[in-house]
Amino acid sequence: MSKRKVINLVLSLIGPIALIVILTMPIGPLAGGLQIVAPTGGIFDVGVGVHQPETQTIKLPGLDANVVVVQDQWGIPHVYGDTIEDAFMAMGYIHARDRLFQMYMQNYLAAGRISEIVGGYAASSDRLYRTLGFERSAEKTLAWFEANTDNPDVAYTLDAIDAEVAGVNTFIDTMTSVTTPIEFKILGFDPPHWRRLDIFIFAQLQSWGLAGGFDDLRNQWMRSTMDNDTMFDEVFPWTMPYSIPIVLEQYNLSITEYPNANGGYPADPNPSALNSGVMAEEAYIPQEKLEVLIKALDEVINPIGDMDFVGSNNWVVGGDRSATGEPILCNDPHLGFQTPALWYESHIVVPGELDVTGVGFAGMPGIILGHNEHTAWGWTNVGADVLDIFVEQLNPNNSSEYMYNGAYRAFEVHDESILTKEGNIIPFEVLESVHGPLIDSITNTYNVDSEDSPNLAMRWTGNDIIHNIMAVGMINKMSDLESYFDAAYWWDVPAQNMVYADDQGNIALTVMGRYPIRAGYDGHFPVQALNDSVGWVSNVPYAYIPRTVNPSQGYIQSTNQLSIDWNTYGFELLGPYADGYRGRRIDALLAADDSVTMDDMKRFQADALEVRAQEIVPYVVDAWNNLGDGNATVDEIIGWLDDWDYVMDPDEKAPTIWMFLRNAIHYETFDEIRSIDSSLMLSRTPVLEKFIKENNVYYFDDHTTAGVVETRDEILVRAMYRALDDLVADPVFGNDPADWDYGNKHRVYYDHLADLTSVGGIPHRGQLTLNVAGGWRVGGGPSWRLVADMSNIQMSYGIYAPGQSGNPFSPHFDDLFWIQYSYDEVTEQHGYHAIYFYSTVAAFQAADTEGTMIEAVITFIP
Amino acid sequence: MRKIDDIFPNLGFAPTLIIVIVLGIALQLTGFWMTMLLAGGFGGLFTRRHRHSFLTGFLGVGIAWTGIFAYLTVTAQAMAVAEFFIGLLGLSGMGWLVIVISLLLGSLLGGFGGLFGRSLVEIIDEFSSEAEQTHTPVQPTEEIVMEEKQ
Repeated sequence: MSKRKVINLVLSLIGPIALIVILTMPIGPLAGGLQIVAPTGGIFDVGVGVHQPETQTIKLPGLDANVVVVQDQWGIPHVYGDTIEDAFMAMGYIHARDRLFQMYMQNYLAAGRISEIVGGYAASSDRLYRTLGFERSAEKTLAWFEANTDNPDVAYTLDAIDAEVAGVNTFIDTMTSVTTPIEFKILGFDPPHWRRLDIFIFAQLQSWGLAGGFDDLRNQWMRSTMDNDTMFDEVFPWTMPYSIPIVLEQYNLSITEYPNANGGYPADPNPSALNSGVMAEEAYIPQEKLEVLIKALDEVINPIGDMDFVGSNNWVVGGDRSATGEPILCNDPHLGFQTPALWYESHIVVPGELDVTGVGFAGMPGIILGHNEHTAWGWTNVGADVLDIFVEQLNPNNSSEYMYNGAYRAFEVHDESILTKEGNIIPFEVLESVHGPLIDSITNTYNVDSEDSPNLAMRWTGNDIIHNIMAVGMINKMSDLESYFDAAYWWDVPAQNMVYADDQGNIALTVMGRYPIRAGYDGHFPVQALNDSVGWVSNVPYAYIPRTVNPSQGYIQSTNQLSIDWNTYGFELLGPYADGYRGRRIDALLAADDSVTMDDMKRFQADALEVRAQEIVPYVVDAWNNLGDGNATVDEIIGWLDDWDYVMDPDEKAPTIWMFLRNAIHYETFDEIRSIDSSLMLSRTPVLEKFIKENNVYYFDDHTTAGVVETRDEILVRAMYRALDDLVADPVFGNDPADWDYGNKHRVYYDHLADLTSVGGIPHRGQLTLNVAGGWRVGGGPSWRLVADMSNIQMSYGIYAPGQSGNPFSPHFDDLFWIQYSYDEVTEQHGYHAIYFYSTVAAFQAADTEGTMIEAVITFIP
Repeated sequence: MRKIDDIFPNLGFAPTLIIVIVLGIALQLTGFWMTMLLAGGFGGLFTRRHRHSFLTGFLGVGIAWTGIFAYLTVTAQAMAVAEFFIGLLGLSGMGWLVIVISLLLGSLLGGFGGLFGRSLVEIIDEFSSEAEQTHTPVQPTEEIVMEEKQ
C-alpha cells in the first residue's frame, strides 16, 4: 500500500476531528459548544418554532377526554376540559411549551442547584438556598399533603399537581429541536422530568421572596453602629407617621369555628398569658460578622426582585360608592420585572367545577390573582416579620453542640454537597438547631468571630409545613364570603392582604397569614434563646387576624402599609411596613369619589402623583422665598417646583429636581447619622416629613458646625444647592436644563432571567406613586393589573408585561409590554387587555365575529 | 472487485458541486451537522483530485447552508436569533458574524469531508487493487491488453 496515501488519509482526518472537537467543546457560557450555530438542529430552530398553526391536535396520554385550548390574540390560553385533571394536564403542557426554561431556572435556583445548569461560579447562591432549606421544607410539606389525602381539598390539590406534572412531562418527552428553549441549547441543559416536589419548591421560593429576609441582622447592625438608642428609635420607628392603617374596622370570625391559626397551626387568643414578661438578654454578634453576613446575603439573587420595590396596591369599592352599583376591585402587585414574566395568564374552565381566570405561575396549577364567575380577588404583601435570628450558645468543648433547655444537644447535620455543571462536587453541610438552619454556614465568618463554628439559627414560618398551594385551589373556587373565609384560612405563608369582592355586593380584606406569638424577646433583633421560654410560643388565631368586611366607609385599600392600629388590636404583627404614601394617595382618591367608574379605577392605577413631593416641596419653596440669595438658576428651578402638580411625568423637569432634592434634604438633615457611618441609611421619608412639618430643631441643626445653630429653612436651602450640584454632575443631565427631563434617565426595563436580553428601555412615569416606578432604572413595579367589574365580570380588564411566551422570537414575548406601557394623555390610563371570559368554546368562537380574538385552537386528545 | 472510482465517475467540478449542494441541504435538514462530512465526502467520490474534492465539499456545503440561512432569515428570524446569540458574547449589532462563522464551519466540514472522502476512496481502491493482485491468478500481459481493448 502506498505510504503517501496512508499519510494522506491520516492527514485528512485531522480536519474533521479538529472540527468535531471545536464544535462540541464548551466555550464559556456556551456549554453546548459552537455546534448550535448550525442552520438547523441548533439555535436557529427556535425561530421556526414560533410559527403555530391555527388549528392543532396534540396527543396527551392520560387524558380522559379531549381538552380544547383556545389561544387568544395575546397568546393567553383558555383551557376547556371535562375534568380538573384533564384541564390541568393540558395547562401543564402549555406552561412547558411557553416557559420551560423559566420553570427550571427558578426551581434550580430555589433548590440550590443552579450550579448544575450554569456552573460552579454560582455556588454561593446554591449555598444560600441550601442553607435556607427550600427543598428540605418542600419535602416536609409534600409529605404532609401525601399523608392527608382524606381531606378533599388536599386530594384536589394533589390531583391538580399530578395532572400539571404529567402535562409538563409529556411536553418534555416530545420536545424537538424546534420546541426546545434557546436557553437550554446555549447552556447545553437537558431537563429531567418535572416532579410533584418541584411545585412545592417553587412555592417556597415565592414565600421567601415575599416573606423572607434578614431585617433582624440589619436592625442590629444599624443600632449598634449608631450606638445611640434614642436616635435609633426616633429616626427608625417601627411604624411610619401619617400612615393610614389598612383595617379600620376589625371583623373577627368565630373562635369556635376557627380555633387555630392559619394553616391549622396552634393558636392562642390570649397572648399576654404566654409571656412571663422576662426578656432574654440581647444577643451579641460582632459588627464585622454582621457586615460579612449582610454583604453575602445581599449578593445573592432575590428571585422576585429587590425588596425595596416589592410591594403592591389593591383596593375595592362597594356598590354604594361605584357608578355600577356593584363592587369594583383593583390589584397591582409590585414585583421585580423580568423576562419572561413571573406571571403566566390563563383561563381554566371545567363545567360545574371551575371557571377561573387571571395569573399564576408556569409549572404550578391554579390562578393566584384574578376572578371567577362570582368573586374577584387581589393581594398585596403584608411585609410582616416572620423570621427571627437566634444566636445559639455553642458547647465550648464541642462546637457541634449547643445549649438548649439546660443541656447540650447536637446540631442536625444536612449533607448539601453541590454538584456543578463541570462535574465537580463542592462539599457543603448545613447545621440545624431546634430553631432552624444556621445561616452563617453560607460564608466563612470565623476569622471575625470568637466562635469557631456557625451559630446563627433562622426561625422562619416558611421553613415549616406550608399550605398555600391548597389555599390557591380553594380561592379559585370561591363563590361567597364563607368560602372566602375558608380559603384564606389555609393561606399561611407569605402573609398577604387579600382583598375580595363578590357578585352579592360584599367587599372584604383579610391580612391573611400565620403570625407567631413571641415570648421573652421583641422580634426586632437577634436573640439568644437558651430554653423554650424564649421564642415562638403560639400563633395569632385565624379568627382574630386583621380583617375587615363591608366597612362603613364603603371602600378598602391596602398598599403594604400598617395593617391595623396596634393600640386597638390585641396582637402584635411586626413590620417593616411600607412608608404609607401610596395608601395616603389612594385613600384620598377613593374618599373623594362616591361614584367610581371602571375608567376612574384605571386612572387611579396609572396615578403618578408623588405625595412625598406634595408634602415636602412647598416647605422648600417657602424656605427659598424666605432665605434665597437670588441665584438665577435656583430661582428658575424653584419656579418649576412651584408650578409643579407633583406628577412624575417623564416630559417634565420638576420630577428630576425632586429626585435629587429628596436625597439632598436627607443628607443635609441627618448629619448626625452620616457622620457616624456613611453607609447608614438616612431615615425613611415619612420621618423626614414629620421632622419638617414639626420643625425638629435638633435634627435641623448641623452638628458638624460647632457654635452655629442652623434652622430648617437654612438646611432646605442648602439642600436645594446640593441637589443642583448633584444634578449637574450627573452625566445624563449635565449643565444644560434642556436635558433635564425626567424621562431622560427614568426608564423601565424587563431584563431576561439569565441576562440574555432586555425588553423596554423607554421613558416611564411615576416613582413612589400608585403607579410604582422606583429609582432611575425601573426594574420593578406593577407586575399584573386587574380591574374587575362585579356588575359584569366579562367587562373586566387586566394586563401584565412583557408577554406570555418565553421564546424571545415569539410575537408574544413582549406584545403585552407595549400595551401596558402605552399611556393615553387624554384618559390618563395605561393600556389593558379585555379579559375574555367565555364559559364554552362555542361562546368564545361566536363572540369572535371579526376573527381577531382567537389566534389558535389546540385540541388535546387522549 | 471493482474500484470505487470505477463505480463513481469523475463528473467534473460543477456537477459534483451541485450534488454536494443538494446533499448538503437534504442532510442538514435532518438537523445533524456532522452529516456535512458525508455531504462533502460525496465530492471525493465524483472528483479525482484532493483539491477538487475539498473545494466541492467546501463550496457545496457553504452554498447549501447559505441557502438555508437565506430561507430562515425570511421565514424564521435567523438574523434576530443570531443577534440574540452574539449579544451573549458582548458583541451586540454583529449578528451577521454568527452566520458567517456558521457558514465557515459548515464549509470546512464539507471541505474536510471531501478531502477525507477522496483519501479514503484512494486507499480503499489501492487496497482492493492490491488484494486483487494477491488473490487473482496472474494473467499473461497479452490477455490483459486484450481485455482492455474489449
